[in-house]
Amino acid sequence: MSDQAPKPYQHKIDRRTALIWVGAVGAAAAAGGAGVVVYRQAVAPGPAAAGYGTDPKLNPPVKAPWPRLLSDDELQAAAILADFILPATAIAPAASALGIPDFIDEWVSAPYPDQAADRSVIRDGLKALIPDLVRGDGARRSAALAALPRSPDEATRAFFKRFRALTVGAYYTTEAGFRDIGYIGNEVRTSDPGPSAEVRAVLEQRLKALGL
Amino acid sequence: MSAPTSAVQLSCFGGASVAATEPYDVIVVGSGAGGGMSAYHLTRSGLKVLMLEAGRDYDPVAETPMYNTNAEAPLRGVPTPDKPFGFYDATVDGGWEVPNEPYTVAEGSEPFIWWRPRMLGGRTNHWGRISLRFGPLDFKPKSRDGLGHDWPITYDDLAPWYDRTEKLIGVTGAAPPRGLVNTPDSPPGCLMESPPPRAFEIFYARAFEAMGIPVVPMHGAVVTQAMEGRNTCVFATPCGRGCAIGANFQSTTVLIPPALATGNLTIRTNALVYQVDLDRTGKAKGVTFVDRATGAHHSVTAHAVVLAAGSGETARILLNSKSAAFPDGLCNAHGMVGRYLMDSVGVNVTGRFPALEDLPPTNDDGMSVSHTYVPWWGYDRHEALGFPRGYHIEIGGGRQMPSMSVARLLEDDASVGEDLRAALRRRYGSVISFNGRGEMIPNDDCYCELDPQAKDKWGIPVLRFHWRWGEAETRQAAHMVTTFLEVIDRLGGKPVGEVERDGRKAISKGGEMIHEVGTARMGASERDSVVNEYGQAWAVPNLFVTDGAVLVSSPDKNPTLSILALAWRSSDHLANLAKRGEL
Repeated sequence: MSDQAPKPYQHKIDRRTALIWVGAVGAAAAAGGAGVVVYRQAVAPGPAAAGYGTDPKLNPPVKAPWPRLLSDDELQAAAILADFILPATAIAPAASALGIPDFIDEWVSAPYPDQAADRSVIRDGLKALIPDLVRGDGARRSAALAALPRSPDEATRAFFKRFRALTVGAYYTTEAGFRDIGYIGNEVRTSDPGPSAEVRAVLEQRLKALGL
Repeated sequence: MSAPTSAVQLSCFGGASVAATEPYDVIVVGSGAGGGMSAYHLTRSGLKVLMLEAGRDYDPVAETPMYNTNAEAPLRGVPTPDKPFGFYDATVDGGWEVPNEPYTVAEGSEPFIWWRPRMLGGRTNHWGRISLRFGPLDFKPKSRDGLGHDWPITYDDLAPWYDRTEKLIGVTGAAPPRGLVNTPDSPPGCLMESPPPRAFEIFYARAFEAMGIPVVPMHGAVVTQAMEGRNTCVFATPCGRGCAIGANFQSTTVLIPPALATGNLTIRTNALVYQVDLDRTGKAKGVTFVDRATGAHHSVTAHAVVLAAGSGETARILLNSKSAAFPDGLCNAHGMVGRYLMDSVGVNVTGRFPALEDLPPTNDDGMSVSHTYVPWWGYDRHEALGFPRGYHIEIGGGRQMPSMSVARLLEDDASVGEDLRAALRRRYGSVISFNGRGEMIPNDDCYCELDPQAKDKWGIPVLRFHWRWGEAETRQAAHMVTTFLEVIDRLGGKPVGEVERDGRKAISKGGEMIHEVGTARMGASERDSVVNEYGQAWAVPNLFVTDGAVLVSSPDKNPTLSILALAWRSSDHLANLAKRGEL
């Protein structure tokens, strides 16, 4: 972890999408607050439902349409924390370079129950970190990050665990994540030859060790 | 990512190819496995068919998200209430709830959930593609041990239709005959080669074999060898999204296009049928539906009606078709419509295996459907086991395209940075998921009826479900857990998460396996069944049922292949009656 101030995080989204969000936030604020979400009833979804609906366009997939909730400070804290969890290596990009903070924003802003349950956990955690991570100097930032995984405070540990799970999931579902974890696939093949001789040899050794 | 170059011309969706005039020869209600197969055979027999589908038109060629990564989807594609099986799942306007079309569960009932899509092709667009024949014992359960009810047909009656169905839809699993009990070997030429087992499949097979339990190639509705008019699998991208190149079976790529090509099929979508209409002689003269888009009600006429709306919806149509002759619903004089509702028993246990860590990277995408599975092995041991019916095991694993759940590999540590990356690389692909799918014996506590109050958006009474698993099922579920834990232990692994050993708690919810069947069962006599062996209603001879509603038992084998084979056999009978002028 460098003690130098990190470069401010910039949204990894195109300008048009950003304008849509701004417009949506503006509209939602005018309608009485963007944070209030009512999920559809079993019968007759209300016109105010803000999810992607039960028949979203899959090909190509629609973008998540709901307004984003994170403040810029929360977004900056998310970027610093995501890069603490997955910093750049010689061969793999940092989490922020893949737009993971934008995904965290998309996730906690989503109008669905699982994401709504994460919303306060993640936002409260990020807000609490703003003084150390965004406003603090390098030494303070590093100390705060290093202390997070083993914080004596249960809520802080729960926040870190959840933020880390979201960061890892978001990172490894990208093409860069595929390369880092070693996923090979999603390509047209005329046949499936099965595992290579090398894989089979390793597997046989291990089965033998298990007495199988 | 380049698409295969040999894309077949799959369809001419978007409207009727001919404007047949009423009365049609046959109205087919539903476009999934039963409806699609009925339309396929009836149109090819020269009959003019009107297919009514409650959902919207659906074009798998244009709409299937082939090769898209989770990073391209909202929320990385995770399940949400809008898309309960994930963003890319080929289910439109549905899942466990359909907007504007509620159902209820009776007070005091165990949970029951009902999966419905609203799209052409129904659930065949997203289904698991597992295509196992029922065996000889499955058709005569009562004769075997006194439990459940016998079918009016034998395995030999349906076997030729299984042969034809497998050859039409394309099914893997070709292997030298094993002669396993109640696990039929298809005749030569019916099945295609399964791809070789992947590393995790070789791995788990050793544990089962050490326990004396055979592991065999999966029968999956995926085209793996050259087949006229079909593309072969590209061994990438999940089947549950549907298949733009028609390499797996879905009604919208395999049945409806050739039916349309005959010029004999008219399709009307958004047509939610709620009633079969009778003429003065008591024969079916057509159906009435509400257009889901406009709310307008329409009646259409035909010489015969085929119900294949899905076991729940078919029962609902019959129960809502009330008249002076049938005050409690059509074909329901004995109160049998909606009865004998069954599902499959489902239990999952997942394990993580150090012996699978750090394997050399390899392409594990496979054909999406499992390459191997474990058929039930204990037919001669039920007395000792303490439960009367068996289950097969569907097993998932390997180095699949990462989803958000990849983070679960690290739940027991708090590493960051290079340690985190290394731990993930090591553990990736080391998880195997064991899923039991077991037979359920029909019981008096499991049925559906019309809810006395609740109605859908258009004022049509909706179904109320009643559910209670029997001891036969909960004991079987407990045995699944015990078996999976033994296999995990033999393989040097540890179960992931808390494992529930109490079968009553480990068992799936009613309906959760999406194998709900049996609400208008077939039988040898009108005294104890709704339809005869050809799905022909005892009470209304020009009314047929060709979906899962006709099933008499719910063997462990997934029902779709049998629904297809039965629908073909029934449609052939219907076509013969029509040719002879006997409808």
